[in-house]
Amino acid sequence: MRLITHNMLSCNIKGVTNGYPLGIEASRLETKESELNPEFLRKIFPKLEWKALRDAAHSLGLNDLPEHVEPSMLEDADFLKNFHHALLEVHLEEGALICPETGRRFPVTKGVPNMLLNEDEV
Amino acid sequence: MHTWVQLRTILVSLSSICGTKTSKFMSLFNFMGICVIFSMKNQGRNLANICQIWRKQTLLQLRLAPLVAVLFSAVHFGSSRLYEGIANFYDESSGLWEDMWGEHMHHGYYDTDSGSSNQNDHRLAQITMIENSLSFAQVPDSKEERPTHVVDVGCGIGGSARYLARRYEAKVSAITLSPVQAARGNVITASQELSNLVTLQVANALKQPFEDGSFDLVWSMESGEHMPDKQQFVGELARVAAPGGRIIIVTWCHRDLELGETCLKPKEQALLDKICDAYYLPAWCSPSDYMELLKTLELKDIKYADWSKNVTPFWPAVMASALSFRGLIKLATSGWTTIRGALAMRLMVQGYQMGLIKFAIITAQKPL
Repeated sequence: MRLITHNMLSCNIKGVTNGYPLGIEASRLETKESELNPEFLRKIFPKLEWKALRDAAHSLGLNDLPEHVEPSMLEDADFLKNFHHALLEVHLEEGALICPETGRRFPVTKGVPNMLLNEDEV
Repeated sequence: MHTWVQLRTILVSLSSICGTKTSKFMSLFNFMGICVIFSMKNQGRNLANICQIWRKQTLLQLRLAPLVAVLFSAVHFGSSRLYEGIANFYDESSGLWEDMWGEHMHHGYYDTDSGSSNQNDHRLAQITMIENSLSFAQVPDSKEERPTHVVDVGCGIGGSARYLARRYEAKVSAITLSPVQAARGNVITASQELSNLVTLQVANALKQPFEDGSFDLVWSMESGEHMPDKQQFVGELARVAAPGGRIIIVTWCHRDLELGETCLKPKEQALLDKICDAYYLPAWCSPSDYMELLKTLELKDIKYADWSKNVTPFWPAVMASALSFRGLIKLATSGWTTIRGALAMRLMVQGYQMGLIKFAIITAQKPL
């Protein structure tokens, strides 16, 4: 599971108002290289929650994303490289996603997050 | 004797719902019953008495069985067992389907009168189904207006998700109850180099793990049949749709009820129940039911079309592939749930022929 996916997931347990973003507990990370596509990164950037992405990357030990992004930075090769790496190349293979409000753990197995809720959480 | 009769009744009902898992117990019970009767005979009761007891027992079964069936249905299709059943069904059957039919796990759309047995034509028909659904919903194609964030609810192994990602260069989040499908789907996606755009995860459509208004296209291709609570299902579709976003539901329904009818005819209901069993379909509703639900959620541009006659070649084609040499070998090595699903195909054909089962597309748009 990449951080691009993590950026979209939230916890919807009944009664939870602050279910986003999910915390990450990483037991096994893998880096899978992929081709950097600047156009794609520029298109996807406005759709992302940048703070959530930055915090998630930070929790995985990736500290080179800036706090605030100016439009001009989307042309800068170094920034794009770090952005690409954090967003698309780091894979959470085993671990869990944690609800910020309840602490409920959603396991991630073989790269697939299991977001199924139990009956009493629906 | 009477306790035995009652227990046998329960088992008869159980076996009709749960399939042959209970048939072993059934045979054992029948055997025990015969032993009881022989022992009674030895105690001096005559044959006439025994016949009377058998007759009474059969009548009792006929009276009690439906009630017990309903009660056990409620338990059997209690939520988590249903979700496990669905997940298990697809965990077990997905590989076989993919081998025989490819990545799209939905009906093909055929121009009527095409009697093709060419598998390529069927795959093309499945693509046509996607394209026709998009045009029916009037999903815009232009670069400015095309969807950028799509959710595929009940995504199988991601066939539609990948198609939509390519077509619109959109990010697609796809959910399924089956861990096997999610994993397999992600592998196929990676092999097609679409991992940037498409991810599958295990989640429940009745409680989608996404924030409100996340998607401008909400796609449910033949997954609605599996939802036990249609209201919650449609509610979630509407919740995750962004203002201006479009919702496309393609699903199996039963026919609309006529004026004055409060439910389907018993014969019709009986056929649906048998199909439900095999495919883990907890509840059927009519296209009008869906439209009502969409109306209550204040969605606009609600449209419906009956595409039943455009999918009629599909099930016979699937059955033919199942009966092919390759198909039979694969079925024989798959599990009971897959085989039961295969056997239920003729029931689907029957349902369509009776005018009971409808293949419906229902679309709507969230107001800005």
